[in-house]
Amino acid sequence: MITLTSSDGQTFDVDEVVAVKMQTIKHLMEDGCAESGIPVPNVTGKILAKVIDFCKKHVETAKAEELRAWDADFIKVDQVTLYDLVMAANYLECKRLLDLTCQRVADMIKGKSPEDIREIFNIKNDFTPEEEEKIRKANQWAFE
Amino acid sequence: MNYFPDEVLEHVFDFLTSHRDRNAVSLVCRSWYKVEKWSRHRVFVGNCYAISPERLIARFPRVRALTLKGKPHFADFNLVPHDWGGFVYPWIQVMAKSNIGLEELRLKRMVVSNESLELLARSFVNFKSLVLVSCEGFTTDGLAALAANCRFLRELDLQENEVEDRKGQWLSCFPDSCTSLVSLNFACLKGEVNLTALERLVARCPNLMSLRLNRAVPLEALQRILMHAPQLVDLGTGSFDHDPDTETYRKLISTLQKCKSIRSMSGFLEVGINGVELIQLIGHCRKLQRLWILDCIGDKGLGVVAATCKDLQELRVFPSDLHGVGNAAVTEEGLVAVSIGCPKLHSLLYFCQQMTNAALITVAKNCPNFTRFRLCILDPKKPDPVTGQPLDEGFGAIVQSCKGLRRLSLSGLLTDQVFLYIGMYAEHLEMLSIAFAGDSDKGMLYVLNGCKKLRKLEIRDSPFGNVALLTDVGKYETMRSLWMSSCEVTLGGCKVLAKKMPRINVEIINEYDQMEFGFDDDVQKVDKMFLYRTLVGPRKDAPHFVWTL
Repeated sequence: MITLTSSDGQTFDVDEVVAVKMQTIKHLMEDGCAESGIPVPNVTGKILAKVIDFCKKHVETAKAEELRAWDADFIKVDQVTLYDLVMAANYLECKRLLDLTCQRVADMIKGKSPEDIREIFNIKNDFTPEEEEKIRKANQWAFE
Repeated sequence: MNYFPDEVLEHVFDFLTSHRDRNAVSLVCRSWYKVEKWSRHRVFVGNCYAISPERLIARFPRVRALTLKGKPHFADFNLVPHDWGGFVYPWIQVMAKSNIGLEELRLKRMVVSNESLELLARSFVNFKSLVLVSCEGFTTDGLAALAANCRFLRELDLQENEVEDRKGQWLSCFPDSCTSLVSLNFACLKGEVNLTALERLVARCPNLMSLRLNRAVPLEALQRILMHAPQLVDLGTGSFDHDPDTETYRKLISTLQKCKSIRSMSGFLEVGINGVELIQLIGHCRKLQRLWILDCIGDKGLGVVAATCKDLQELRVFPSDLHGVGNAAVTEEGLVAVSIGCPKLHSLLYFCQQMTNAALITVAKNCPNFTRFRLCILDPKKPDPVTGQPLDEGFGAIVQSCKGLRRLSLSGLLTDQVFLYIGMYAEHLEMLSIAFAGDSDKGMLYVLNGCKKLRKLEIRDSPFGNVALLTDVGKYETMRSLWMSSCEVTLGGCKVLAKKMPRINVEIINEYDQMEFGFDDDVQKVDKMFLYRTLVGPRKDAPHFVWTL
């Protein structure tokens, strides 16, 4: 058993076989740093719980179809939670979770215009009108 | 999302496979533009003259897979002179010099010299895939260079290219260490191949999924080769000329039945008039999704396809004899049968003797999911043989029913009415081919005004002139290209267009010196005009008979 402590002080006892699904944790374990628990300062308890759930499910379940269905349900979260999961998966180096969450973000982008994408993700357009027009023209005339 | 580190953004973008999505993403903000630019590995250039190779790699320095298209589509019908352009050499040269890690190259209607192939083979260590469609300019010596030097070659796919076959041993140039082939298509080569080398090559490539042989590979060889490749998904047969009673044919059927993964078939190049054996063969391929076949199969054969191939998505029926009398060909009957039997059909290329409005209306009702519909009635301007009417209503039914239609080729007798329908209903149409159709400028205008997503328009032998050409010149900046040949457009009209639209290259092809500057421009009709939007101005490699206005 490994104890993980989230940024907001919550502790989680995790089987080693589950913990190693997070490469960052795995490296720390291999380096012998896991004796007195592992702090995870970049991830809140709420998110860490979900990540651990994910890893646990993937360790326990062999059937690919069951996993796919479970993953599809797992990823139905609000946007803020999704971002937090992406960042956590990246920091903890959990490849499968990173793939799942990034795919989900990509699905939100597919088929949308730049304006729509900016709105969904609350991003400011920092191009000058001339720059934007130049890129748009190059995209449409050359790369489509 | 603005606080995602670059590598996370890149990971998200990895899941965006369409060029449009990547283009949209590049316009969101400066940081997204930068991340996208450095991580786009697959680049599509629909017109090689819209941009230069230098600008391509300035924008996408990490390009690994490039698609390039050259000549206009009507080059397939010999309407474009051979040396018009579309040379790939400068692109390969620039990429080689800039140390681009090129792995895949897909070229359509480009001129590919042996020097290009040799430079390609020498310059890109990880080169994996070459797909050449309707290209020309190389010989089998160029192929030998590729086979010998590309250690990780996975795909060599030659579709309908004009290749000078030096009858050399290019196939034998694949070293024994080459075991990585996934796709090999040399159907368009005319010469003999070393059958032993071929068989050994197939035998040592366990991942071979797609194999298309040429005419020179006899049935016995096909059977032996198939024994080594039961995993094949796509098969193009070689010669099919044989006696149905032979042991070889029975062995072939038995071997084919062991190839349980075949989803796509083509070839059958010398099928006899009955096509009985061919029909029997297809009867064994229930899971076909794609079938490319000659019209020798006949309406009866198409009936068998309809009854057997319930998963069929794409059908191409090619003419065996372009000036044929009609015994071997297919008619509207075959098409209707397929439309009834194959509910998943969405892509069609159909060369036929005749078509009726009734049949087209039935097909439209049965198959509302067409995305590509190309009908080529061999006799231009042929009306509905039953009613004597133009085919306006039939094609009208197609565009009205098939709401996702992106590509359409028309043929038969057609008036302006069909264009009214197209302008009204074909909302997603991207490419339209018109030949010997329409009555007046109105026809072309219906299309230009109505089809908002139109990208490529090609017109030959139709009565559209300057009024149609010049009414909405801004439209051409929203399209990739326009081809007009043997229409009513004059040199004066083209000059006006070129002057108004400096970012469009208006090219006049003057092959036989029919035209002279100085004559009355308003009277001189232009034989062939090709215009396209471009970021890089008039091209510098145009031959003497191509004038950019």
